[in-house]
Amino acid sequence: MRIRDVVIGANASMYYKLNFRKIKGVYYPRTVQEVVAAVKHAQANGFTVTPKGGGSGLSGACTGGNDERVMISSLQMKEILTISKDQGYIDVQPGINPDQINAILDPIGMHFYVAPSSRDIATVGGILSTDGGGNDTWVNGTMRDNTIRVKMVLYDGRLLTVDKDGVKSNDSELEARLNDIGVTIHDIASSHGTLGFIAEMRLLIRPTFTETKIGGLVEFPECNALGETLTTMIQRKTPIRYGEAITSAHPDVREDLKPPLLILEFPEENESDIREITDYKPLDSKELAKMKDIRIKLPKRNPNEGIQVALFEGYGFYGESLRKLQDSINEVDELLISQGMTPFAKYGHGPSKWYLGDNTPTYGLILHSREIKPEGKTGQELLNTVLAIVDKCEELGITPKPEHKWPFSDVDKKKRLDEIRRVIGDGFNPFLLSSECNDVLGSMV
Amino acid sequence: MSYDKCVRCGSCLMFCPMFDATGEEQFSPRGKTYLLQVMDQIEEDEELGKEFRRLLFQCSLCGRCEEKCASGVDLLKVWHEQRANAIDTAPEEFAYLEPLKDALSNVKNIYGLAAEDRAIYWLDELEDEIPGLEDRVYEKGKTAEVMVFLGCLMSFRGSQIDVLKSLFQTLEKLEVDYLVMGSEEFCCGHPLYLMGDDEGAEKLREHNKGVVEAAEAKKVITCCPGCLIQLREHHNLESAEALHHTQFIDQTLETIPKYKQTEEFSYHDPCELHRILEIKTEPRSVINKMGIEFTEMDLSCCGGGGLLRMTDPDLSDKVIRLRAAREGVKNTTVITACPSCREQLLGQNLNTKDIVELVSKALEGGAE
Repeated sequence: MRIRDVVIGANASMYYKLNFRKIKGVYYPRTVQEVVAAVKHAQANGFTVTPKGGGSGLSGACTGGNDERVMISSLQMKEILTISKDQGYIDVQPGINPDQINAILDPIGMHFYVAPSSRDIATVGGILSTDGGGNDTWVNGTMRDNTIRVKMVLYDGRLLTVDKDGVKSNDSELEARLNDIGVTIHDIASSHGTLGFIAEMRLLIRPTFTETKIGGLVEFPECNALGETLTTMIQRKTPIRYGEAITSAHPDVREDLKPPLLILEFPEENESDIREITDYKPLDSKELAKMKDIRIKLPKRNPNEGIQVALFEGYGFYGESLRKLQDSINEVDELLISQGMTPFAKYGHGPSKWYLGDNTPTYGLILHSREIKPEGKTGQELLNTVLAIVDKCEELGITPKPEHKWPFSDVDKKKRLDEIRRVIGDGFNPFLLSSECNDVLGSMV
Repeated sequence: MSYDKCVRCGSCLMFCPMFDATGEEQFSPRGKTYLLQVMDQIEEDEELGKEFRRLLFQCSLCGRCEEKCASGVDLLKVWHEQRANAIDTAPEEFAYLEPLKDALSNVKNIYGLAAEDRAIYWLDELEDEIPGLEDRVYEKGKTAEVMVFLGCLMSFRGSQIDVLKSLFQTLEKLEVDYLVMGSEEFCCGHPLYLMGDDEGAEKLREHNKGVVEAAEAKKVITCCPGCLIQLREHHNLESAEALHHTQFIDQTLETIPKYKQTEEFSYHDPCELHRILEIKTEPRSVINKMGIEFTEMDLSCCGGGGLLRMTDPDLSDKVIRLRAAREGVKNTTVITACPSCREQLLGQNLNTKDIVELVSKALEGGAE
């Protein structure tokens, strides 16, 4: 065992205490050929393969569980391959992140409109694997909406190209079988590295859009009013360019915010529409920038005493659970407190968009959550709390982890991934879909 | 422990010059704090421990990770403490640092040269051009408003002589009442501090403090940000203010004659100066007072800090090589304000000037 085999386990989820001896190789390929070589080495030795991007995700998928496995990092695959301004796309390797892409695009007046708060490290391959997005998914969609096609390396080393219409491969039989079951980019989105290694991507880019925008802050007496406001915005398709809610924050990191609140940015021409929906206090550009900064740092800040933990980092409130947001949050918090957790902060994107496991687009509030790490809890106890939250979400009509997903409870997605893996092989990240997944994750907390 | 606060978000990776140069996570700040977080699982593996201890010294301590960290991890302090632990735990793995420690202990400079030679090399070079320079060298009984602390690099390296000359010419032109510590100057202790050896550094500091007090100096100026960290933050100077030479110049000269610019300039801001000492405005103010047009380089490391030149010279070279290529500075003159950065830039055959060289030229009334 070498230190690079240990460090590959570094990731932002609470699942980080890996059994390092099960890691049988770590690769940082630069080309598709090098990826194929790494995968073939794994296959020849009976190891599974776990792809890893920036390690900023919170699902634990990039750990690879407890299988004897080869880890392939995409962090050295960060080249831009082609830019077509006219046709509106950019071809990239999967290890590049949105900030790096936009640093190249901005001078030519183009932009890649996917902006998770971790856009300085999250790789585009990783973002597609979780179907992530940012506070602008409401206007710009999730990663799948901004991905035109991907090239993937399968467990047997064969290559696939997948787009919204289907699959192409040099292996005509494989191509036919996958097209028969209707495989498209929707299947790659949120697959958590269970299908193959994303080796190249064609991404949608658009001209940089400039408009005069207004910043505003809405403070609510309680969260049901916030939920109603967001519901109205969704019903009216209000063009919110930036919408971030903070429903609670620990005094150590709250600064002068008074949650629940909604930070907004919208086109000047829609000012009267917004006024009809809610009474906001205008923010000048400096005030808005400060608000955005407080918000973007919330996932990383710590209380003065103790450490924050992303026990269950996201809740997708929509429909009734959004309209009764306060009631829904109360139930979640009661559950957390009953399990010995101390809520630290809840904040997130609204209005926002995400997809359910059957690929239905859904609109609501993605509320991230952080707790203060409890002393003396075992990994299994913490995981049991997570599983209790999943059950609570189902009871309340909340999507568990709408950005990073909870594939273990998403029956539709799981079934679909199993169906595809019967065709392409199951050597990639099998622990996520196995019956031992919960136990494995519990052992890594 | 502070490293427990790291949430492993990864925001430090892309800015880390070590990760940039190597491409592998173990060199990144997140990688290293992660290793500390899982140390209970790996500490019994001797080889891993050895590799980890080596990794701690494969870092230029530029501080960018700490600056970017939204989780409030005091990363520089973590590296400082862990380096000390590493050397305590396995001194034999750091035997290559012993000659440096011996030199600092015996002759009080990093080169192992005779202590009395501190004021020999540059004095030989410059005394004809700067009349009376010999009288500026401190001896017991002499006093002055300003004490110049040259540091080991500038005292002994021929590559620094132009900067020295410009510094002295500028001080002379401004009629500053100054002395140079000369053979009474001990290393500031920064190299030992970078190894985590606070005790060793303190012995050196005590001597320097005594000299400054004996000379009744009100200001101590240095061109070296590393020395300034020690002088300002750790020497506990009670009656003298420690300043970077750019601060002193900026305070002293409200205006500076326009520099006759004939070349393209870029500015490399030394990490220890802007990030650790937070001296950001004065160097730029001095450049602007001379009417010099320049391009700001990325605020990243040259690879010359943190003892990296000694602990992993190949990595140090790679850091500056990558930067030089990426930032396209081959056809410019890189302005900087740190002797260590200057050495790194010169090592890549880049044209480079310390700010004081430009000031001296401007005061003379011309450009080269």
